[in-house]
Amino acid sequence: MLKLIIKKECLTALRDVRLQVSAVILLILMTTAVLVGKEGQKLIQEEREEAQAAMYDQWLDQGNKHPHSAAHFGQFAFKPKPVLSFLDVGLDTYTGVSIFLEAHKQNEVLFSGAQDSNGMSRFGELTVALVFQVFLPLLIVFLAFNVFTKEREDGTLKLVHAQGLPMRKLLMGKVWGTYLMVLLIYLPIVLLAYLMLDQQSANLDPGITTKFIALVVLYAVYFLVFVLFCVLVSSFAKSSGFSLLTLLGLWIVSCVILPKATTNLADKVYPTPSQFEFRKTIKDKVKNGIDGHNPSDVRLAALKQQVLDEYGASTIEELPVNWSGIAMQAGEEYTDQVYDQEFSRIEEIFKRQNKLSEWVAFVNPYLAARHLSMALAGTDFHHHVAFARAAENYRRFFVKKMNKDMELNHKPGVAYSDYNVGREFWGSIAPFDYQLPSTATILSVQWRNIAALVFWLVILLSIAYTYARKIPKL
Amino acid sequence: MKTLFHVLQFEWKTLKRSRSLGVLLWVFLGAGVYGIYFGKFEIDEQRIRIAEVEEFEKQQFDSLMLRTKLDTTISANTQKYNSATMPSRFGLKGPFVYYVSKDLHPLAGLCLGQIDLFPAYYGFHIQALAKQLGTNELANPMKLLAGNFDLSYVIVFLLPLVIVALFYTVYASEKESGTLSLLRSEPIALGMVLLGKGLPRVLVILGLVTFLLALGFVIHGVSLADHFGLFFRWLWIIYGYSLLWILFMGIVVWLRQGSALSAILGLGGWLIFTVIAPALLNLFVSAQEPLPNRAEMIHAVRNLNDKNWNTPKSFVFDRFYADHPALNQGDTSDFIKWYYASFTLLDKEANRLKGTFEAQVKQRNELLEKWKWLAPAAWVHEKLSRTCGTDRRGHMAFLQEVHAFHEDLKSLYYPKIFNEQRFTMEDLKKLEERITL
Repeated sequence: MLKLIIKKECLTALRDVRLQVSAVILLILMTTAVLVGKEGQKLIQEEREEAQAAMYDQWLDQGNKHPHSAAHFGQFAFKPKPVLSFLDVGLDTYTGVSIFLEAHKQNEVLFSGAQDSNGMSRFGELTVALVFQVFLPLLIVFLAFNVFTKEREDGTLKLVHAQGLPMRKLLMGKVWGTYLMVLLIYLPIVLLAYLMLDQQSANLDPGITTKFIALVVLYAVYFLVFVLFCVLVSSFAKSSGFSLLTLLGLWIVSCVILPKATTNLADKVYPTPSQFEFRKTIKDKVKNGIDGHNPSDVRLAALKQQVLDEYGASTIEELPVNWSGIAMQAGEEYTDQVYDQEFSRIEEIFKRQNKLSEWVAFVNPYLAARHLSMALAGTDFHHHVAFARAAENYRRFFVKKMNKDMELNHKPGVAYSDYNVGREFWGSIAPFDYQLPSTATILSVQWRNIAALVFWLVILLSIAYTYARKIPKL
Repeated sequence: MKTLFHVLQFEWKTLKRSRSLGVLLWVFLGAGVYGIYFGKFEIDEQRIRIAEVEEFEKQQFDSLMLRTKLDTTISANTQKYNSATMPSRFGLKGPFVYYVSKDLHPLAGLCLGQIDLFPAYYGFHIQALAKQLGTNELANPMKLLAGNFDLSYVIVFLLPLVIVALFYTVYASEKESGTLSLLRSEPIALGMVLLGKGLPRVLVILGLVTFLLALGFVIHGVSLADHFGLFFRWLWIIYGYSLLWILFMGIVVWLRQGSALSAILGLGGWLIFTVIAPALLNLFVSAQEPLPNRAEMIHAVRNLNDKNWNTPKSFVFDRFYADHPALNQGDTSDFIKWYYASFTLLDKEANRLKGTFEAQVKQRNELLEKWKWLAPAAWVHEKLSRTCGTDRRGHMAFLQEVHAFHEDLKSLYYPKIFNEQRFTMEDLKKLEERITL
């Protein structure tokens, strides 16, 4: 019997010209988004890899100079464009792409795409994620808004009920029938996207397949939630018109208005401090400590005494090591502490703001899907922070190496310009290599969103099972 | 004519009595008011931040000026006195940081545009500007992605939905409630009837947006009398946009379909023109013409910096004096002069490269411009943000101001540095004027 209902639902949908047209439009849009999106991702990634390699070559070719001059010459880190970003660009347009790594200073990840584009960029890029998150639910609304109301309006519901068909069975039949139609559009795109994952992808991110599968499961669940919801609304709605209007209204609120309003609200609840305030705090905190170029501080004096004691010397000139190298490294480490403190304060504020959206996902499943999708595609806030961290760690690593060399090999009494190192030493610093976080790491921070989706699925399924009997038959 | 008037009158009454329409209009109005307040909140915050920065700058300057009154016969004071009078040492601790902030357009809060992507102020000192502008306002990228819920958003995104909702039943409701055949038996053309039904709706829409705009002016404290031209410019854009959508719905009505199909067509049109078209354009442009890479530019400046430091001083001096013969006193060994000359070289190179880069960006954005008619929503949004100076162009103009300010500072500092003179009281007055500007 269940099979029969599913078959009937599918046939009705397949014969509907309006649905045929919408489905074809969606398929065209998604195919374009996958093909063009992948091409774009590949192009950008290649360009960044090239730039990263070229910058490293320049580091190697910088000629002979003092290691501290090299630390000022600095290095660059380019953010890799995650493979799955062709499915969901997420925040990529709004986060910077490269960062200059130099001595003494923690720079910002700069040059976001949005800053270089005109206002059009605010309207977003067409990606499969946009179609999945926003348009497919709309198609589901059109597929399902009248599955029950029409039967009721035509009087067939009464007949079916009189034949002794349990309402629960009918309801689930309609759910699976509609869902099957959705899968009919969904699965070809999944296959197409899977075929686009090439060798380049695997090199960039070893966990790519797991992430892809997780994405596929995520959207499959998301669609099921929407199908269940729409069929349930239809089963209790007074008329087809009422059902359609309700569902469209909810769609606009949850997919268009609420996401914007939620994020804006979060910014009001947990206000972001200004750049000026942020920089000033850092400056003030560093000022009270030691700075490599400013050897007149109390801290510096204490450090000096400590180093002198350690080597049993009475003046800097007597030290077997280079004092400036030690002072600078100590300065770096102090500044690092201040930066760490301040940056994590800001990160904490942003995370709180985002968390608020994550809790709202329990009301609006669209948000859960959006957050999870971005996370799995490698384009969410956590990924941005992970990249910035990795780049900063690399900066600390190579600046420390420069300072250490200065400390050990730049003998006291030798002028700054007379101590030079060359290519061999530059080559001892391995190029910056960044690996995207693993699937397990990603999912562990996304538990709220996963819980929200599961919550919706469970609630809707239990409503379907418990209240199916109460569906009005007239 | 009389019948048309009759239809008009009847339609007006029906509209007034329709509860669902009432709810819709109130919701829209509510969204509009929220948008106006949201914009005000954002822009007020910007203003507070700007004021905070300017206050800080003034304070720093004042405490620096106190040092000019120090008694220099006490040797402990010399260093402090120098820091207030010697251009190469001017500043409390490190070079003095000047702040230049953006002049916010009075209507900026009604259309925030790209304003949240860029800083509203820059702090920089006399040394190389190129190395000081790499900074952004702190912003949660999630918020940047979500965008601003301002009045322009309400008009560009939500207004078309209201128009669709108001118009899709113009023909269908008569047909579906069976009154169409009655109407057609009257001696009046169907076109007239539809016109009679459409006109009150058009008036409702135009009245609503005019009201919201006027309210926006009032809440943002912008006097209508002083900015009449601006009001009309906005009105002109919004009316044009509304009429475009009304025209679109007119075509849908003219197709004489049932209410369900009309609604789907209307909503489909909304999706295509406000969501899909701009998104598709962005997709193609970013894949076909990715944003030019800044790596080359960054590297060139860095290399020059490296060269400045690691070659004999004549490298910098030769180039610098060629550009600034007036400052040439024949000195080719002084560190301070060399130091400041090298900054000028860096800025010159950075500006040259930036020009090339901007030309590339412009070329790419022109590609978007060429196709913008496909995405009227984005087009209108861009137009509104342009009138308010909140688009990228507005920020570029601000950056130019920053560069001009820096150049102006240099015209005060450099002659003094190269002639090895101190700032006179008159010079300091000039600096103070620039700070309080």
